[in-house]
Amino acid sequence: MARLSGLQREVLSLYRKCLRETRKKPLETRNNFIAYTRAEFRKYATVSKKDFNAIEYLLRKGQRQFEIYSSPGIRNIR
Amino acid sequence: MASIARQNPLLRQSCLSAFRAPWATKNVAQAVAFHASAKKQILPPLPQSIQGTMNDPAPIPESHPTEGSYHWTFERLVSASLVPLCIAPFAAGSMSPVMDAVICSAIVVHSHIGFHASITDYFPTRRVPKTHTFMNWLLRAFTLGTAVGLYEFETNDVGVTEALRRVWKA
Amino acid sequence: MAALRTTSRLFASSKPLFRPAVFARSYATVDAVSQEPNPSETPKIKTFQVYRWNPDQPTEKPKMQSYTLDLNKTGPMMLDALIRIKNEMDPTLTFRRSCREGICGSCAMNIDGVNTLACLCRIPTDTAKESRIYPLPHTYVVKDLVPDLTYFYKQYKSIKPYLQRETKTEDGLEYRQSPEERKKLDGLYECILCACCSTSCPSYWWNSEEYLGPAILLQSYRWLADSRDEKTAERKAALDNSMSVYRCHTILNCSRTCPKGLNPARAIAEIKKMMASH
Repeated sequence: MARLSGLQREVLSLYRKCLRETRKKPLETRNNFIAYTRAEFRKYATVSKKDFNAIEYLLRKGQRQFEIYSSPGIRNIR
Repeated sequence: MASIARQNPLLRQSCLSAFRAPWATKNVAQAVAFHASAKKQILPPLPQSIQGTMNDPAPIPESHPTEGSYHWTFERLVSASLVPLCIAPFAAGSMSPVMDAVICSAIVVHSHIGFHASITDYFPTRRVPKTHTFMNWLLRAFTLGTAVGLYEFETNDVGVTEALRRVWKA
Repeated sequence: MAALRTTSRLFASSKPLFRPAVFARSYATVDAVSQEPNPSETPKIKTFQVYRWNPDQPTEKPKMQSYTLDLNKTGPMMLDALIRIKNEMDPTLTFRRSCREGICGSCAMNIDGVNTLACLCRIPTDTAKESRIYPLPHTYVVKDLVPDLTYFYKQYKSIKPYLQRETKTEDGLEYRQSPEERKKLDGLYECILCACCSTSCPSYWWNSEEYLGPAILLQSYRWLADSRDEKTAERKAALDNSMSVYRCHTILNCSRTCPKGLNPARAIAEIKKMMASH
């Protein structure tokens, strides 16, 4: 596999972080969280890897969403 | 997006001058220039890095005994002392080597502090850690070189004030 | 403090002509009568160039969009123009606004190259020139004219902007101040944290993650100067590093741009004096 750029690694680490966070959610709804995470990342899979501004923005947005959804009060997601 | 705005020095840093470019009258031309000038950036902004969650306070930088208030007080004292030091030898007309030594060391220290501040400003450790260290060592080398050079000039030649006087008279 | 306010007025007088004077502002709302088009008046058509960027299409580049308004039908302030654009021409235009009288600090933006509050900024009557409106410089943009001030607020939180006190008063009542002690807070408590000054500061542009910026330092001094606060030493210790305060190189953009006519540079100088004498 080719060496990943810093930005690509950041995206992957955010993705891993999100998936890891799903393990803290209740068992019955965990799949919803995983599906949601995947869908959110898939949505922007077509963004060119050289479009740094867009990727940086999406990372910021993702980080914020991660913080919101990782709150223990949120038990399910559709 | 944000970074474009941040990267465009012509458009975005016009806080005081209310900069108006000639192409600003044409919307299309302006849009082109707006995108094209983003390539001229020197230090592109980093992606936003927020430590901790939204609600945590920002971390306080570590304090160091040689930085902070003592550093500032020392810097101000040196700067303030330079004013009388620069006038004194010419006003008094005395050519004492002690005076020369004091002026030279004050100038060396003053410029070292000044350049050090510029390096801290423009080569932040967070952004370019290696360049930061390199520039600091370069500065130290230059300061040492200047100090040695001035010492040689003082001991083997006429000295700074005398040299200035001769240049002035010549 | 009185001196602080006088100097800030001096600064205000040196501002460019198109800057609004805070004390000369009028209400931004326009009554129904004045909105009726007056046939004797010729329409005053002015163009506004507004920064647009839509986060829903992150791959698209930000652009300037121009809107033309008749100034006779618009209120006197920039915020009126923006609200009118949003209501009548383009509902997708996004900006923060709340109080429309310069007390909430929501509508801070860069208008004609100067950071100011849109609600306190008169529309320049020169219709030949177009007005250019950007979000605050060197901020991450959330959408259109909305900047991301997360880090700014995090920095504000880091200076502990609240009264820290252990001891009670003898009579168990409120903490009293003498008029002189209270006077020290004049010119400091008026700050509404609109971030105009911080985002106009070149030092803050380069080092916004460590340097606190003029707005936060003004607030910091507000608590350092408060006679009721007992944690002055701790507050000073937290500022005693090379980054927090000493990246200020007295560029004075902050005092020049402050839409409330305050003087953050003066407050920073006072902090430096306090730090030097401890």
